[in-house]
Amino acid sequence: MSYNWNWSIFFEPSLDGTHTYLTTLLWGAGWTLATAFAAFAIALSLGSVVGVARTAPQAWVRALSTCFVEVLRNVPLLVQMFLWYFVLPELLPDELGTWLKQLPDAQFYTAVVCLGCYHAARMAEVVRAGLQSLPGGQRMAGQALGLNLAQTYRYVLLPMAYRIVVPAITSEFLSCTKNTSVALAIGLMELTGSARAMQENSFQIFEAFSAATTLYLALNLIIIFAMRRVERLAVVPGYGTPQKAA
Amino acid sequence: MITLRDVCKAYGQFQVLSHCSTHVAKGEVVVVCGPSGSGKSTLIKTVNGLEPVNAGEIIIDGVSVTARGTNLSTLRARVGMVFQHFELFPHLSIIQNLMLAQVKVLKRTRPQAHKKGMALLDRVGLVAQAHKFPGQLSGGQQQRVAIARALAMDPVALLFDEPTSALDPEMINEVLDVMIELAREGMTMMVVTHEMGFARKVANRVIFMDRGEIVEDAEKNAFFDQPRSERAQQFLSKILVH
Ligand SMILES: Nc1ncnc2c1ncn2[C@@H]1O[C@H](COP(=O)(O)OP(=O)(O)OP(=O)(O)O)[C@@H](O)[C@H]1O
Ligand SMILES: [Mg+2]
Repeated sequence: MSYNWNWSIFFEPSLDGTHTYLTTLLWGAGWTLATAFAAFAIALSLGSVVGVARTAPQAWVRALSTCFVEVLRNVPLLVQMFLWYFVLPELLPDELGTWLKQLPDAQFYTAVVCLGCYHAARMAEVVRAGLQSLPGGQRMAGQALGLNLAQTYRYVLLPMAYRIVVPAITSEFLSCTKNTSVALAIGLMELTGSARAMQENSFQIFEAFSAATTLYLALNLIIIFAMRRVERLAVVPGYGTPQKAA
Repeated sequence: MITLRDVCKAYGQFQVLSHCSTHVAKGEVVVVCGPSGSGKSTLIKTVNGLEPVNAGEIIIDGVSVTARGTNLSTLRARVGMVFQHFELFPHLSIIQNLMLAQVKVLKRTRPQAHKKGMALLDRVGLVAQAHKFPGQLSGGQQQRVAIARALAMDPVALLFDEPTSALDPEMINEVLDVMIELAREGMTMMVVTHEMGFARKVANRVIFMDRGEIVEDAEKNAFFDQPRSERAQQFLSKILVH
C-alpha cells in the first residue's frame, strides 16, 4: 500500500478556504453532540410517556402505544430519516411544507425529531421492562394509600423502574449518539459527514476517519462515565444484590 | 362500617367470588380463612376497589365502592391495607414511606407528616430504623412499618391480606402483637389469616370461604366449637392439628 501519511492535514484550510479541517471536524462533532443530546431528551421523555402507556389499565391506551413502538422500531432508521425529510413536507399542506423546507438548519431539526422518535420507541420498551419487573403489589400498595394512578406512577413505580433500567438507558444513549451519523444521509454536516468531506477533498482517508473514530469514542466515553455516576446515585440501599461492574 | 352485598367476580369463565355478603361493624375484628385459591385475597381487595367486581355492592362508612361516580382514591385513603409481601416502597426510607401519602394525598405539611410518622414508628418500636431503607429491615420489621404506614392515614378500617404468611416463624409474633393491640383499641379490621391463635384472641367473627363462596360467617366461638359446614370442619381439623 502506498499511502501518503500527512497528519498536518488537520491544520490546512478546508474547502471553504477559511477554516482548517480540524475546525470543520470539531464543528461536526458539535452537531453530533447537539443532535444526540436533543434527540435523547426527546427519547427519554416521549419514551417514558409511551412506556407508561404500554402498562396502562386502559386497553386502547396500550394498543395506541404498542402501535407507536412497533412502527418506529421496525422501520429502518435510514428510511425514517428520508420519510421525515423528503416525504413529510410533501404530505403537509403547501404552506407548512414550504416553511419546513426553508427552515434554516432543517436537517438538524429533522434529525433530532427522527432520532428522538426512533429512540423513544426503544426507550418505551426499556421503561416498560422496568415497570413490569416491579412486583404487582407495588401498584396496589400505592393505590391502596389513596394515590391516584398518575401519582402512583410518579412516586412509586417510575422511581424504581428507572433505577432498575439505568444500564439499558446508557446503552440507548450510546446508540443514539452513534445513530446521529445516519443524518449524513439528509445532509447534516455532523461528525461522519465532515470526516467524509475532509476525505473527499484531501484524500487523507485514514487521518480523517482516525479523527472521527477518536472523537466518537471520546464522546461515548464521556457519556459512559456520566452514566456510571447516575448508576451509583440510583443504588437503593438493601435492594437486590449489589454486584460490582467492571 | 363495611358492607358487602351479593358481590360476584369472575375471571372469564372462572367464578372467583359468588354472592358474597357480610357486614363488619365499627370496631369489629373479622378473620377470613379458607383453603388456598378460595378467593380470600380477591375478596379483601374488592373491599377498597383494588379488584373491580362484576356484580353486587360494597359500602364503606356510608360510601359506595362499587357506584360509578365514587372517587376511589379518596375512599382508599381512608381504608388501610396491609399486604402479604409488605410492599414498602424500596427507594424511600422508612420515614419517607410513612410520609408519602400523608403529603401527597392528605396534603399534610412535611413537618406534620414527619411528626405523625415518627410517632407511629415509635408505636411499632422502630424509631431507630426511621432513616434506613426497607431492604435493610427484617421481614417482621418491614411488616410493622407497613402497618404504621397504613395507620398514618388515620384509616376508618384496616384490611390485612395474610400479613404474617411471608414471615419467618420467629417474626410472626412481633407483627401479631401490633395487630392485637390495634384490635383491642377498637380498630375495625378485616384480616385474611390462618393464624387461628390470633382469631381466638381478638376476632369477633370468623368468615370461612371455599371456592369463592362465604360458606360460614359465624361468631368466633361458634365457629371454633361447632362449625356447621363439613368443609369448615375439615379445614379446621387440618390447620388446628398441626
Ligand atoms: N388475575 C387472575 N386471573 C385469573 N384467575 C385469577 C386471577 N387472580 C386470581 N385468580 C384465581 O382466583 C382464585 C382466587 O384467588 P385468591 O388469590 O383470591 O385466593 P386466596 O384464597 O387468596 O388464595 P391463597 O390462600 O393462596 O392466597 C384462584 O383460583 C386464582 O387462581
Ligand atoms: Mg391470597
